[in-house]
Amino acid sequence: MRPSRSTSFGIAVTLAVAIAIALIPYTLSDYNRSTGATVAVYFVAILALNIVTGYTGQISIGHGAFMALGGYATAILTHSHGWNDIATLPVAAAVGFAAGVVVGLPALRLHGVYLALTTFAVALAVPQLAKNYPGFTGGTQGLALPTHTGLWLYDVGWAVAGVMFVVAWLLLRGRTGRAFRAVRDSEVAAASSGVTLAVYKTVAFGVSAAMAAVAGSIYVLVNNFVNPDVFGLTLSLYILIGAVVGGLGSLWGVLIGAAFVQLLPLGLTSNSIGSSQSVPVIFGAVVIVVMALLPLGAANLLRPVLLFGSKTGQHPKTPDTPLGTEGR
Amino acid sequence: MTALAETARRVPIRPSTSWIVPLALVGVCVFLVVGSLQSALFAQQVISGLANGGIYASLAVALVLIYRATEVINFAQGAIATFTTYVAWQLIDWGLSYWPAFALTLGIAFVGGFALELVAIRPVERRGSQLTVVIAAIGLLILVEGSVGWIWGNGVKFMPAPFPSHIYYLGGVAFSRQDLSTIAISIASVVLLWAFFQFTKVGLAMRAAAVRPEAARLVGVRVSWMLSLGWGLAAVLGAVAGMMAAASPSVLLQPSMMDGILIYAFAAAVIGGLESAAGAVIGALLIGVLLNLLGSYVSWVTPQLLLPAAFVVMLVVLLVKPSGLFGRTRVRKV
Amino acid sequence: MTRRMKGALVLAALAVAAAVVSAALASPAATPGVTKNSITIGGTFPLTGAAALYGVIPKAEAAYFDYVNAHGGVNGRKIIFKYYDDAYNPANTVPLTKKLVEQDHVFADYGSLGTAPTLATRDYLNKLGVPQVLVATGDSYWGAQYKKYPWTIGFQPDYPGESRVYGQFIRNKVPQAKIGVLMQDDPYGQNYYNGLLQGLGAAKSKIVDVEKYDATQTDVSQQVIKLKAAGANVFALFALPTQTIDALVVATKIGWTPVTFINNVSASPLFMGLAVKSGANVDNDISATYLFDTINNPTASTTKLFDSILAKYDKGADPTDANNLYGVASAWTFVDALKNAGQNPTRKSLMTALTSLNATNPFLYPGVKLQTTPTERFPIDQQILEQWKSGAWHPFGHIFSKAR
Repeated sequence: MRPSRSTSFGIAVTLAVAIAIALIPYTLSDYNRSTGATVAVYFVAILALNIVTGYTGQISIGHGAFMALGGYATAILTHSHGWNDIATLPVAAAVGFAAGVVVGLPALRLHGVYLALTTFAVALAVPQLAKNYPGFTGGTQGLALPTHTGLWLYDVGWAVAGVMFVVAWLLLRGRTGRAFRAVRDSEVAAASSGVTLAVYKTVAFGVSAAMAAVAGSIYVLVNNFVNPDVFGLTLSLYILIGAVVGGLGSLWGVLIGAAFVQLLPLGLTSNSIGSSQSVPVIFGAVVIVVMALLPLGAANLLRPVLLFGSKTGQHPKTPDTPLGTEGR
Repeated sequence: MTALAETARRVPIRPSTSWIVPLALVGVCVFLVVGSLQSALFAQQVISGLANGGIYASLAVALVLIYRATEVINFAQGAIATFTTYVAWQLIDWGLSYWPAFALTLGIAFVGGFALELVAIRPVERRGSQLTVVIAAIGLLILVEGSVGWIWGNGVKFMPAPFPSHIYYLGGVAFSRQDLSTIAISIASVVLLWAFFQFTKVGLAMRAAAVRPEAARLVGVRVSWMLSLGWGLAAVLGAVAGMMAAASPSVLLQPSMMDGILIYAFAAAVIGGLESAAGAVIGALLIGVLLNLLGSYVSWVTPQLLLPAAFVVMLVVLLVKPSGLFGRTRVRKV
Repeated sequence: MTRRMKGALVLAALAVAAAVVSAALASPAATPGVTKNSITIGGTFPLTGAAALYGVIPKAEAAYFDYVNAHGGVNGRKIIFKYYDDAYNPANTVPLTKKLVEQDHVFADYGSLGTAPTLATRDYLNKLGVPQVLVATGDSYWGAQYKKYPWTIGFQPDYPGESRVYGQFIRNKVPQAKIGVLMQDDPYGQNYYNGLLQGLGAAKSKIVDVEKYDATQTDVSQQVIKLKAAGANVFALFALPTQTIDALVVATKIGWTPVTFINNVSASPLFMGLAVKSGANVDNDISATYLFDTINNPTASTTKLFDSILAKYDKGADPTDANNLYGVASAWTFVDALKNAGQNPTRKSLMTALTSLNATNPFLYPGVKLQTTPTERFPIDQQILEQWKSGAWHPFGHIFSKAR
C-alpha cells in the first residue's frame, strides 16, 4: 500500500511535531498558553469537520451546534452538578454522537447545498434552544465555570487533541476510512461495492459530531463561561474556513487550518495595521487570496511529506457537483 | 459521460404530482383571507408578516440569481447589500435626493458586483471546486462587512424612506405605503428578472452559460462574463433589498443590518427552490406571515423558537420536496 | 567551526543568560499598570456587531481621559486607556481580558460593557485581584454580590430600580391604567419587569398583557399589535434600541397611542430621533435619567465642557447621543476615585476609593449623587423622570431614590 520508508518518516515527523507542541508552552506566557489552548479547540473542531466534509463529502456549516452541545453538557454538569471538568468530556462526546446521528439521518436525503443549508439552520437553532431553557442552560446570562491556569488549559486541550488525532487516524486508515473516501468520491460506486451508504454516512456524522462536542467542551473550559452567543454562526464559519484553507482530507491541514483561523486574526489585532477595524477586511482578503492560490488548501503544498491523507491529491467532490471539480 | 449526466440532470422529470404545490398555496391564501375577514387582529398580523416577507424576498431573489448562474450559495450577499445601502446613504448625505441616489446606487452596485466576481471569485473558481468558492464567498462576507464598519463606523445612521410614511386604514387594519411598496418592488423585480431571462439575448446567454457552459462557449457566449453579469445583477437586487430594509422601522442602518435578513432569505430561497425566483418570493412571504401567526397564536412557540421554526418549515419542505417547492427535481446519475 | 563562530556563540549564550537572569531577578512592578507617570487601564466593548451602537461609549471615555491628561493627569500620571472589541461575545471577552491583564498589565478593568461578557470575566478578575470597575450594565449583580466578588463594582442605576420608578408613577398617577408590557425574553427584560411589578405593588393587577421578543427578532410588530388588541392604554417598553424604535413606529402606525414608558438605555435622544424620522409619534413618552440635561441647558458650564471635550478629543461624536454623556460621566467617576486612591494608588486603594464615594459628578443630574459605602455598592441610586416634548427630553418631578 504505502512504501514503508515514508511511513516511518511520517511517524517521525508526527512525533517531532507532538513533542514540539508539548514543549512550546514552557516558552510562552500564561496568556499565550490560553491562546494555544484555543488553537487546540479549533484543531479538534476542524478535525471533526474533516471527517464529515473532507472524507465523506457531506458539507456541514453547522459544527458550531455540536460544539454547543458538548460545551453546554460540560458547563451544566460542572456548574450545576459539581462534576469534575475532565469527567464531562466523555459525556459531551456521547451527547455529540447522538446529535450527530440525529442530524445525519435526515441528512441522508439531502445533498450538497441543501445539506449545507440544513446544517447552517442547525447551527442557528441550537443557541436559540439554549435561550429557550434558561433554567437549564443559564439562558443569555449563561453559566460561569471555575477558572484554570493557561498551562492546564493548554495541556488538557492538546492532550485531547492528540487523542482525537489518533482516533481519527485509526478510523481513517482502515476499512472505515476507505469506505468514507469511497462515499465521497462516488456514492453510486460505493454502494455498488457493498458499502452501506446510510450506515457509513450516519456514522461519519456521529463521530464528527462527537469530536466537535468535545472541542466545544474544551472551548467552554478555556473561557470558563458559556452562553448562546459563544456558539454563534461565526464559529461554524471559521471552522469551515479553517478546514478548507488547511486542506480538506488532510490531517496536517487540520493543524494549519486551526493555526490560521485563530492566530491570524489575533496577530492582526495585535499589530493593528490601520486600526482594529481593518482586521476583518485583511482576514477576509487573505482567505480569498488563499483560496485563489491554494484551492486545495495549504496542506497541498506539503503533499510530498504527507502520509495520512492518502487521497489528498483528489479534491473532495460534493456529490451534487454536475461538472466535477475542475473546469468550468 | 459528463454531458450525458448534464442532460439527464437538466431534463425535468415531471412528476404527476405537480399540482400539489400550487393547490397548497391556494389553500394557504384562502386560509389567510378568511382569517383576515374574521379578525382584524389576524389581518393585521398577516399584513405585517407580508411586509417582513417582502424584505426577505428581495434578498432571496438575489441569492437565487447567483445560485442559478454559478451554483454557489453566496454568503456575502447580505454584506454586499449592506455596503450598497451605505453607498446610497453616503450619496444622500452628500446632498443627492432619494431617487437619484437610489438610481446611482443601483449602477454602482452593478459595477461593484461585477468587479467583485472578477477579482474575488473568478480567480478562485478557475482552479477550485464549489466548496472553495463558497469559502471565498465567506471570506468576502467578512471582508465586506468589515469594510462597512471601517469606512462608515459601526454606529447607527438614519436612512430616509423613499415613500413618506402614509398609513392606509381598511376596516381597522393599518397598511403602510412603505410596506406595500416593498412587496410590490419584490414582485416587480421577479417579473423583470423573468422577462430579462426569457426575452433578451443577454438573458438567454446567461441561462445557457449556467446550464451548459461548454455548449454555450461553442456558440460564442463569453461564459465567464456571464457569471460576472450575474453577480452584478444580484448586487443590484441586493441593493434594492438593502434600501427597502433600511426604510423599514425594524431595520436600522448599521453594518450588521442584513445578518438576520440573510438567514430568512436563505430559508425562503430553499423553500421556494433555489432555482426559482418566484419561489423565493413566495417562500419569503410565507415565512414572514407564518412567523407572525405562530408568534401570535401558538403559545408554545416562544420568541426564541421563531428562528428555528422557519428552519423546521424549510426542513419539512425539503424532506417532502427535496428541491424545494418550485425547484426542478433532479436525477442524479453517475 | 571557526574561532569567530565559537566566539559569537559564546557571546550569544551570555546574552541569553543575562536576559534570563535579569528577567528572573527583575522585581515585579509594585502595582501593575502604574508607573511614575502613567496608569494603564483597559476594558472590553462591543465595537462591532449588533450591540455596536454602544461602541461610542469607550470613545467618549477615552476623550475624557485625554482631557484630563491634557490638564496634568491624575496626581501627575497620565491615564492610558486601552479598549478592545469583543462584539458582545463572551468567547472574545475572556481572551481579550486576559490580554489586558497579562500582556497590557492594566491596573484595572474599567467600564467593560455587557452583562454576559462581564460575568464571564468576573471570576478570573476577582481571583487575580484585578479591579473590575464601573461595569457598564444595569444588572444588579455588581452591587449585590460584592461579598463574593469584592473587586467588582458597577456604575449606573440598576434596571429593576429604574422600572420600579415607572411602576410607582403608574400606581400613583395613572389610576385607569391598563398596562401592556413588551419585554425581551431573558434576564435583561425580566429585570425591568420585576422592578415594574415591585413599583406597581397592588396595581400589578392592571397589567393586561405581557408580550416578549427574542433579541434575534428585529421586528416586534406582532407583539405591539397584540398589545393594542388587548386594550392596553399604558405601554411599558423594555427593549433594546432597535426593537424600541420599531415598537414606537409600529404603535403609531397602527394607531395606538398609550402612555409609553421607555427604558433609559434605549431612550437616548439619538434613538428617539431615529424613531421620529421613521414616523413614530413619541410626544409625551416617559423615561428616566440620571445624567445632566445638556440638551435643555446649552449654556451650563457642564454642557459647554461636555461639548468641548467631544469636539476636541472625540471628533464626530454626536452630543445628543446620551451614550456619550454616559461615557464622560463614568470616566469622571473613575478619575475622581483615582484621585482619592492616593499619591501612589494600588488596586486596593482604588477599590477603597470606589466603595467610599461621596461626590457630586457634574455630568449627573443636579441632585443625583455618587455615593457608595463598603456595604452599599451602587454608585448611582437615583433617577428623575423625563418626558419627551418638542423634540427633547424634559426632566420633571422629583428625584426618586432607591430605598434599600
